[in-house]
Amino acid sequence: MRKWWLLLVSLALWNILGYSLAQTSRVAATDATPAAATPTRIVSLAPNLTELLYALGLEEALAGVTLDSDYPAAAAAKPQVGTFWQPNIEAVVALKPDLVVALDFQQQQSVVQRLERLGYRCLMADIWTVDDFMRAVGTMGQATGRQPQAEALVARLRGDIQRLQNAIAGRTRPRVLWVVQREPLRVAGRDTFVNELIELAGGENAIGPTLHKYPPIGAEQVIACGAEVIIEPAMVESDFARQRETALAYWSRWPHVPAVAAGRIYVIDGDLVSRLSPRLYQGLETIAQCLRPEPPGE
Amino acid sequence: MHRTLSPRTLLIRVASAAVVLVAVMLACALVGTERVSFVNALSGGSDPASPNPDFEILMHVRVPRIILAAIVGAALAGAGVTFQAVLRNPLADPYILGISSGAGLGAILAVIGGLNWTLFGRSPIAAFAFAGALGTVWLVWVVGRVTGKFHVTGLLLAGVVVNACFSAVIMFLTSIARSQEVHATIFWLMGNMAEEEFFVLWVSGGSVLAGLVALFFISPQLNALSFGPAEAQSMGVNVRRTQVVAFAVAAFITAVAVSLSGLIGFVGLIVPHAVRLVFGPDHRQLLPLSSLVGAVFLLLADTLARVVVAPAQLPVGVVTAMLGGPFFLVLLMRYNRKVCRLT
Repeated sequence: MRKWWLLLVSLALWNILGYSLAQTSRVAATDATPAAATPTRIVSLAPNLTELLYALGLEEALAGVTLDSDYPAAAAAKPQVGTFWQPNIEAVVALKPDLVVALDFQQQQSVVQRLERLGYRCLMADIWTVDDFMRAVGTMGQATGRQPQAEALVARLRGDIQRLQNAIAGRTRPRVLWVVQREPLRVAGRDTFVNELIELAGGENAIGPTLHKYPPIGAEQVIACGAEVIIEPAMVESDFARQRETALAYWSRWPHVPAVAAGRIYVIDGDLVSRLSPRLYQGLETIAQCLRPEPPGE
Repeated sequence: MHRTLSPRTLLIRVASAAVVLVAVMLACALVGTERVSFVNALSGGSDPASPNPDFEILMHVRVPRIILAAIVGAALAGAGVTFQAVLRNPLADPYILGISSGAGLGAILAVIGGLNWTLFGRSPIAAFAFAGALGTVWLVWVVGRVTGKFHVTGLLLAGVVVNACFSAVIMFLTSIARSQEVHATIFWLMGNMAEEEFFVLWVSGGSVLAGLVALFFISPQLNALSFGPAEAQSMGVNVRRTQVVAFAVAAFITAVAVSLSGLIGFVGLIVPHAVRLVFGPDHRQLLPLSSLVGAVFLLLADTLARVVVAPAQLPVGVVTAMLGGPFFLVLLMRYNRKVCRLT
């Protein structure tokens, strides 16, 4: 019995010792706060934030990006620090950044927490809606000393969106089925930013409120939803034509769905509509064109 | 052919395994996606005016992660030995009593709940995973206890069913979640290593070590138990008490490991078998050796995961299974043949 007590007591002592050691080292760490200034070495952990930094004219200051940052094309030539889902913290530290920008969701939060523990300045953007994005542009502009550019960007985007709203005002809203994945069939639900894009572009999600964000649906719902337009974002840019062909073949099994009967099945550039970035309006315009074959405003 | 284990042999073997572990830790500290100058790193860091990335990468990124891998590997392998002994089932691993799905469920609830706080440097995922793991083991234990006195089969069945049920809940939750949350969970479920704070490593390292020592205390009873509960009782072993201690301690160190690094499969199944094949089934030796070998194995797997697809990283669970599977099959063929020839 004695050895068990000995074990418990030594474990308790060990933990107390660790706690006191951690307290002393924490005091030492807080002393070393780096001076805040306009950052000159920025690492971006998300492709849409990379696009945003470019749009703010920070190309020079951008020291590193994740592998998924493919727009603008020049971004791909920057030093790479792992993937969006698993940034490589060693590579980030090696770049000696004075600002790290990330998206506010679990996977990147943990990286940011670890970087902050090492004393790096980090900024997380919580972007789930168009409004969130506008706000993030403002915060980013402030953190990088580019407020004028940020304000101009927000003003331009808001103006563009307002013009589009004026153009589509009063028109009937076609019902849109937004296909995320064909097999098994998964579509965008109401509680997504895609839904917001559809509505801003003048459409209405053919799928009603669902428990899932991106609900998997069956043939029954496809027929019942009465979609007038089907949109499939293509994930790889080059195969638009082929994906449209396979899409037509796939959807032809439901000839009575209005969208299929009218041949209104569109394959669009996924990059434009799968991230909230400064190209947001281009994405909206693309969707609007699918909803009205003639360009809006004419 | 069966030789008894002398304390001297045991000590020599454990000590050499410990030396190997330290050597591997040092070697792995030099491997990474970034080239780190060792001399430069040793010149010191923590001068806020001119940061020394060499020092930071080595001391704040690599070394904590290496220590973490060693802790998790040792915990999983030690728990695997214990579960295989008490359940008398070669397929048993640390996750068999539902720990994996319980921890997974806790983790995904934390992710979907969007919780964002820290407790002693741990994220809500870790805290929820830890609670989920222990809660599930307790549930399985309570259910299993109803089924009989030395309720091994009942425990196993309860564990399998709870696993299946919770896995279904996990699938349901991932299907309704946002894609980014789903991804976060999937990475966690595949085993996700990251460097941790000093205090976290200190406490979890101490807990795992204490757990392994506790299991070593009962290793003679585990030896008796592997003949079956009735036989063990006739040898004067308090079966009930041994089972309770073994389960509680093994579940506890597994929960610590899981909360540190997500679900890393294979270490807890393969390492005990490999050590048993090579060195024999005596638990007094099997337990410390497996823990040390488990630490080395996970350390090597994690180092590969860090560098193989640089600058990206692989989930370490993928590496353990891809590396460990073939290696174990070779061991199995080689040593079984030798045993057959000798007998």
